[in-house]
Amino acid sequence: MVINEVDWTPLFVSGKLSIATTVILLVLAAPLAYFLAFSRFRAKFLCSAVINLPLVLPPTVLGFYLLIVMKPEGFVGAVWGWFSNTSLLFSFPGIIFASLIYSLPFAVTPMQTAFAKIDIRHIESAKVLGLSSTAIFFRVILPNSFNGIFASGILVFVHTLGEFGVILMVGGSIPGKTKVSSIAIYEAVEALRYNEAGLMSLVLALICYMVLIMVNLLSNKNRYGT
Amino acid sequence: MIIATGIRSAAAAALKRRLRYSIFSIWLLLLFPACLFSAERLTVGVAANFILPFKELSLTFKQQYSIPVDATFTSSGNIYGQIINCAPYDLFLSADEERPDKLFQNGFVEKPFVYARSRVVLWGLNKEMCRAVDWKEALMLPSLKKISIANPQTAPYGSASVAALQTAGLWPIVENRLVFAQTVAQAFQYAHIGTVAAGFCAYSSALSEEGQNGCYFLIDQAPDIIQAACILKATRSRKAVRAFAAFLISPEAERIKREYGYQ
Repeated sequence: MVINEVDWTPLFVSGKLSIATTVILLVLAAPLAYFLAFSRFRAKFLCSAVINLPLVLPPTVLGFYLLIVMKPEGFVGAVWGWFSNTSLLFSFPGIIFASLIYSLPFAVTPMQTAFAKIDIRHIESAKVLGLSSTAIFFRVILPNSFNGIFASGILVFVHTLGEFGVILMVGGSIPGKTKVSSIAIYEAVEALRYNEAGLMSLVLALICYMVLIMVNLLSNKNRYGT
Repeated sequence: MIIATGIRSAAAAALKRRLRYSIFSIWLLLLFPACLFSAERLTVGVAANFILPFKELSLTFKQQYSIPVDATFTSSGNIYGQIINCAPYDLFLSADEERPDKLFQNGFVEKPFVYARSRVVLWGLNKEMCRAVDWKEALMLPSLKKISIANPQTAPYGSASVAALQTAGLWPIVENRLVFAQTVAQAFQYAHIGTVAAGFCAYSSALSEEGQNGCYFLIDQAPDIIQAACILKATRSRKAVRAFAAFLISPEAERIKREYGYQ
């Protein structure tokens, strides 16, 4: 008889993917959020709409476009191929790239709100005192928007953990590489392994629940920032 | 002249190598758990009907050769699309001959070989259906409100079922009752969980532990499902994948496949 033990690798892949996406995205999203919050650029609303597009696009539409650009002949795929001699599609770096795009609005929006809420007088006094805009960003804006940055991180982490459609389209379901837990659950149900699907779903639900509790605890404790 | 170009391309190669190393070291951190087990292992794209025998086959192979085999189970059409886009499979076990042949003609794979033959069945838990004489009579029953079938565009079992329905002239009668599943395994899952009254499934599903709770009719109008496999030319473990391909058609593997209803 086939051995019916639960394979936890997909959960590790999910965890790795979520951590990598969160770390990279927080760094990438900060300048974007800064731009959206403070720039006086006329067409800013257009940029904002582009950044928020993954929020409303059907995952299959996003997945299709990603498939096109990540192909070995596609723009991103070709650049990646030149560096690494490997295919970006159906690889772990590939699903990180897809997650970065997919979760971008979840990283930018809370940060942008937090930045915009900062009392403009703080920034102006810093400017008067002769700080460069880079220094203002790191020494005034960032410390004053801890909660927004934290919210971004949590949202991106949980959102990536639950990603399904986009990753299935550009990652396939390669065990140990791109088979994340949500895909593993789907496949376990398809193959009638309800035990495995149930256990893994339970673990995911618990992780999400604990993350939410942590958010609540922290937001009650740290009322500094805005 | 030749020497100068040589030096320049050597410098370019060194730069490229350095870039590659730096990117590699960044990923190293992210890939850390995977690195611990980077010994040889095979990745196989497997048609969803073959889930049960494949689990046992890969386990037996691992015991004999100590090479672990990972598998992705989805519809043949899906794996076909992934291979065209350079998916890192070593071997492709399709549920038809057509797709491996097409890959072979386009130079993606080595020459395909047949590893299994199977049949399409109509499977269900419905008691009334189980009393019917054959599948055609069963499909006439009004109590079969929904019938699952694998997507004929991507799943060979689905297209074989559609062919049988058309040959038997039943297509107009069932067309509005069909529920399309992504794979033939999902078609069985829908029927097993009771969301549909019956489903066009693989013979191996009907023989499985879960399948024995219901009843099935062989669909004699459906063409035999001839399942071919092929080794990808891009494989990085040629020796191991050759060994596995040979194992797939060995007498021992034949015994396992027969157990699950394959010839």
